[in-house]
Order: sequence, then C-alpha cells, then structure tokens
Amino acid sequence: MEKQMSNNFIRKRIENKSSTFNKVLNYLDPNISSILNRIPEDIKDRIEEIRIRSGKPLMICMEGSDFFINRVGKPEINSNNVYITTEENVAKSFQIISNYSVYAIEDELKNGFITIKGGHRVGVSGKVVYGKNGLETIKNISSLNVRIAREKIGVSNTIMQDIIKELNTIHHTLIVSPPQCGKTTLLRDIIRNLSNGMPNYNFRGIKVGLVDERSEIASLYNGQPQNNIGVRTDVLDGCKKYDGMILLIRSMSPHVIATDELGDEKDIKAIHEALKAGVKVIATAHGEGIEDIKTKPNLKEIIEEKIFERIFILDNSNGVGTIRHILDGKTFKPISRGERKNYVSIKNTRKLNSNNFF
Amino acid sequence: MFLLKILGSLIVITSSSLIGFTYGSYYSKRLKNLMLLSNSIQLLETEVMFTATPIPEALENVYKKGNKRVSYIFLDIKKHLNKSFSTNDSFNSVIPTLKQDLNLNEEDIEIFLSLGKVLGKSDRQDQQKHFKTVITQLDRQQKDAEDSKNKNEKMCKSLGVLGGILITIILF
Repeated sequence: MEKQMSNNFIRKRIENKSSTFNKVLNYLDPNISSILNRIPEDIKDRIEEIRIRSGKPLMICMEGSDFFINRVGKPEINSNNVYITTEENVAKSFQIISNYSVYAIEDELKNGFITIKGGHRVGVSGKVVYGKNGLETIKNISSLNVRIAREKIGVSNTIMQDIIKELNTIHHTLIVSPPQCGKTTLLRDIIRNLSNGMPNYNFRGIKVGLVDERSEIASLYNGQPQNNIGVRTDVLDGCKKYDGMILLIRSMSPHVIATDELGDEKDIKAIHEALKAGVKVIATAHGEGIEDIKTKPNLKEIIEEKIFERIFILDNSNGVGTIRHILDGKTFKPISRGERKNYVSIKNTRKLNSNNFF
Repeated sequence: MFLLKILGSLIVITSSSLIGFTYGSYYSKRLKNLMLLSNSIQLLETEVMFTATPIPEALENVYKKGNKRVSYIFLDIKKHLNKSFSTNDSFNSVIPTLKQDLNLNEEDIEIFLSLGKVLGKSDRQDQQKHFKTVITQLDRQQKDAEDSKNKNEKMCKSLGVLGGILITIILF
C-alpha cells in the first residue's frame, strides 16, 4: 500500500514539474510558447532556462549545456534551421511578463529581474538608464532569460540532524558554496524543515525570520511566497540584510534568522546583533571551501570568531548540490559520523527520496 | 384637401427638423464624450500613478468607476488584451466604436491611440508625462468640439426647421 502511494507520489511530482514549464509558457509570446510547447515532456522537466534574445536563435539551458530550438520544438546542437527570435517576440513576452505595466515593476526592474507567479525569475537586459539616484530603469529590452524555479522539497531532510540541537534549537549554520551548486535551494529547504518541524527528530518547529534580499528564497509574488518555506516563517522581501535582521529581531521575535549570501561588512554587524539578541543564524556564503572563505575580508572575521557551529561545504563534484563536507565550526574538522559519505545530490532528489522514504 | 396639405407640410417640417436636430446633436455628443473620455483617462492615470495597478486591472477599474457611456471601451480593451497580448493592438481594436458610437473624429481617435502606444511601457514618471500630454490634447479637442458645437449645432437645427418650411412654401 505504502509503495503504491509512493509511486503515485513520484508520478504526481513529475506531472507537476512539466506543468511548471507549461505555466511558464503562459508568460511568453504565443508564437514562441507554441514552439516551446512542442518540446518532448521528458525534456521539459529538465529545462532550467529559456533564453530569448532578439535576432538570435531561441535556446534552452539544461544540465549545464544549452540547445537551440528548431521550429517544431526539437532541441538541436547546431544552429542551422533553428527558430530565430524576433524583436517582436521579445517585446511581446516582456509585455506579458510585466503584465503590460512597467511602472508597476520599476523597483524589480532596477535589480535586473522580474519575479513571476510560481517564483520563476525573468532576467532582463537592454539599455540601462541612469538618473539622479543611480540606475533608474532598463528599456529597449533585447534579451530575456527565464529561469525556471523548481524547489526541491526534501533535499535537506538527511542533513537536518546536523543542524538540529537538542532542546528544540539549532546550531548557527553557514552554507559555503560556489555559484550554481544549490546553496539557495538547500537553504530554502532547511528553512522549511525548521519552520514546519521534524517529528522524526522530535523537533517541533521554530519561528524563522527570513531576510530575502534577492527574492530568491521565498520568491514573493504579490506578497505571497511562491515556494514552500514552512508555516512559522516570516519573510522580509527585497530587504537589505542588515536592516532586515534588525527589523525582524525587533518585530517578529524569530528564533532563527535565515539569509542568503553574506559578504558585506554590514552583514557581519547584523550577525553580531542577532547573537546579542540570542537569535540563531543560518546563512550562505560564496566560496570554494573553508580556506577560501578565510581569505575573504569580512567572512574571514566571522569564521575566526567561530560563531558558526556548523559549516556545510557544497560543490558539484557529484552533480549540483553535492555536500562535500560538514565541518564543525570550532575545529574546522569534518564532523564524524560513520555512515555519511556524499550526502545529498539535489539532482538525484527523486532517487534519494525513494531511498529514504520508500 | 386643404387639411391634407396642412398635414403634409407638418410632416415635412417635422422630419426635416428631426434631421437637423440629429445632425446637430452629433456635435454635442462628441463634446460630451470627449469630456467623459478625458475623465476616464484621468481615472486611469490615478490607477497608474498612485496605486501602480497593473494595466489589465486598471482598465477594469476605470470601466467600473467611470461613466459607463464611455468607460465601456476600457473593458473592451482589456478583453482584447487577453487575446492580442499587445496594448497597442487592443487600443486599435476599439477604433470603430470610437468613430461610430462615440462620434469622435479622426484627430480625437489618434490622440487616444497615442496613449495605447506608450501605456505601461515605461516607469511612472514617464507615464505621467504621457498622460499629461494626452489629457491636454483632449482638452484642446474639447474646446474645438465646443466651438464647432456652438457654430454648427444651432445652424443644423435651424437649417432643418427652415429647410422644412422652405420645402413647404415651395410645394404649397
């Protein structure tokens, strides 16, 4: 019975995923989306980016490489006989994405991307206009990059035991990773687990305050989180880390503050504020490893203070989302627990889930 | 016989007066509709400037808040937007309505369409400039409409009545 259910669960997941892609297509010029819609379903599942460049071939990116799309929606490696995106395709898609209302997304446009329903992000490039207060807007849009967000629910399940402390509290945790290795994905799922609680570990769930400076974690759309970030999570979207942490400590009494991509001097100050207030911190940082982090000006400081009790080092040696090490923040030695080798490969979530649960 | 003649002349006079009044009312209708259109655009401006409501929703709100005699075109535009995915095309789709039902002339329509070309395509500051331009231009059209109304409406009406009388006198 349980097996049956789990199989269904998997199938359902796949269906959901391809409809994710189809939902994204609603935001593109019908001329393009009808072509993209013809892409075989199993490929649709794996597409990470759709690249729309005025006057250039229509492309998709998946699993580290990119493909041209021909007129019948077939991915091609060489660029002969492929669909060339027109200026109108770009303009129309941008109109739909912006809901015909550039003025309503002014602030988002300043950051160079727009979040659409479902948490997908559309990167925009074109002519940048400067005004009195710096970058004002982007106009004459020439290319769009639709990044399809696929939250990987459950990827952090196996590592939660290294974050959770007894007495319903957690370790200060830092996730260190080079770009594109899944640190935000991992952080998001950790937040979900902390917030919802994990009955397996007798962990009840704690209040999480999330400072989502780049709108990547919760992906708020019209104030609603598009990703599952748990029931006890309060989000400050688009807020600078320092301001956000202070605000949250003052107003939402979080048990944990989560944030992405530490690095500024002010971020470090904010973490000290959080410590003063007795709040746990869980954060990510760019870096190749612990030695690399120690060479970075502000991060170095905080590592040497040994504030973080757990440090996760990610890389993509075994696909996106490989956890290379889990270090103890005091000794910088991997925490020993015999059975653990390579923890989670986010890419293989489905397999992993089936190993774990079924 | 004489009574019949009287009756006939009365019919001629009334119908020609009616024709005169209909032509005359074209001018006052245009004026009235221009005024309402201008008001609706001001409503749209408020939606865009103060609440940053996205265009589809803003158009619907204008329809709801505005005088329905004119504001229904905004609902038509919104409906068309769901098919054409282009504000410009959607604005163009109401040209026949503007011409036939709202009695607007070519210039009025051109001014209105110019809004469709820029609506929603830039930041708030820029949008405000466009709204200002369109509203000023429509104001000017209103003055023009008023002038031609003063000049022509009365003329049309008198022409209708007097024309009727003339025909009667000739035929009597």
